[in-house]
Amino acid sequence: MKVPKILLVASFLLLGFIPPPKHINIYMIGDSTMCLYGNDQRPVTGWGMPFADYFDNSVTIKNMAKGGRSTRTFVGENRWQPIVDSLHEGDYVLIQFGHNDESNAPKYAERYTPVEDYKKYLIKFITESRGKNAFPVLITPVTRRNFDKDGKIKETHLEYSNAVREIGASYKIPVIDLDEKSRDLVGKLGPETSKLIYMGLDTLEHPNYPVGRSDNTHFNEYGARLMAELVLNEIKNQHLPLADRIVKGQNTSTVNPQVK
Amino acid sequence: MWRSVNNNKIQVKALLLAISLLIIYAFTLPVKHITIYLAGDSTMADKEIKAYPETGWGMPFRVFFDSTVTVVNKAKNGRSTKSFIAEGLWKSITDNLKEGDYVLIQFGHNDEVPTKATYTPEADFKTNLVEFISETRERKATPILITPVARRKFNTGGDIEDTHAVYAQLVRDVAAKNNVPLIDLDKKSMDMLQKLGPEKSKLYFNYLQPGENPNYPDGKSDDTHFSELGARKIAELVLAEIRNVQPDLATRILKSKNLEIK
Repeated sequence: MKVPKILLVASFLLLGFIPPPKHINIYMIGDSTMCLYGNDQRPVTGWGMPFADYFDNSVTIKNMAKGGRSTRTFVGENRWQPIVDSLHEGDYVLIQFGHNDESNAPKYAERYTPVEDYKKYLIKFITESRGKNAFPVLITPVTRRNFDKDGKIKETHLEYSNAVREIGASYKIPVIDLDEKSRDLVGKLGPETSKLIYMGLDTLEHPNYPVGRSDNTHFNEYGARLMAELVLNEIKNQHLPLADRIVKGQNTSTVNPQVK
Repeated sequence: MWRSVNNNKIQVKALLLAISLLIIYAFTLPVKHITIYLAGDSTMADKEIKAYPETGWGMPFRVFFDSTVTVVNKAKNGRSTKSFIAEGLWKSITDNLKEGDYVLIQFGHNDEVPTKATYTPEADFKTNLVEFISETRERKATPILITPVARRKFNTGGDIEDTHAVYAQLVRDVAAKNNVPLIDLDKKSMDMLQKLGPEKSKLYFNYLQPGENPNYPDGKSDDTHFSELGARKIAELVLAEIRNVQPDLATRILKSKNLEIK
């Protein structure tokens, strides 16, 4: 079939007038595995930090995650309401809690949130986001580095990850199963290599941690980026409209144009 | 009785005086603010966001020092000593260099390859390094020479190969002859990569699966440029050597307490 020329010209003209995508905000709410860190705490890195590097300029990332917070304390400290107040139509809210909600040791009583309450808070985040015509996205808690004696990685968030999956299904909210994805990734790295992506440091290795550190929960800059990649790829795999705003890279590596 | 009270008063006054003097002393000798300039190639340079997660070791290096130090990273992708001078990058350092500043100099990757436009023959490489040293010293600043950081190149037996043997030795020779502090990063980083071995060492370099990272849809297997982890580990090696070769600069390394991560 031959396309009439006038139609071609018209479609080119129309293309030229397609408005640029509306500017949106992505609010990130969660815990220490997602949050921002200052130079004085490097190399610990929340996955929300590298995540922000991979969107085009139609997106502003507002990383409101805070270390040590459960759904309950995040709301209780009035960290949620100001976000609701500033949400605009088309904004996204990425929700990843669990690490502190599930901590039932006595010393963490101040953050512990029984799973039934956890669900209620997730529902609150969802309904209030939708109330502002924003898109909530649920994320299961990222994995810990916890291997059994046979070198198999353990699921440490089961009850809380299941709660996220359940609420996601019943409220028809996209769920990014970061718990599962990251567990696969860390499991494949294995007990030894996986140390390289968490916040372990030798004595005097880094001036911010002169006595060193061992840590199986928090990621270093590399692990945080791997986790961010998992989330970015799930946004693409699930065809969330947000995927269109992820940068389309050119495989730009470092080659000086002078060097041929 | 009276005398004893008086003695006490004198003692209190003496103590107050001593404390005041200490406080004054603490404020009369502020540590002079200095700048550390980084001169080098892509393995050291700051990267554009579109090239992430490729990372130059100058990027994590920046956070290691206290507030009396500013780190200015002038290193640039693809540069040799020759092109660094020709493009005015070296001059942008000397124009601003002040007494007490430092210049960390790491070249070689682009000097040593004869097929590259940036190729700098051995004699010229040495001449350029000597020029960097003398121009830095003329301004009463301190040059520190650094041998080129290792590539990830293992032989079939799993032993790391020195891909900079000739040019790293030139740096060592120039440093020794001119009495310049030397950080033998080629050797230190080869040792580090050898300990990791061929597989684990990939995590230190920009190795990406196809579809893994939005900036590199086709994936990447780069044995020269670092990941954020490798860049930081290299920066840590440089810092450890600064403690050895330049103790006065080491006094300005951050003195932190391990902060709690909640």
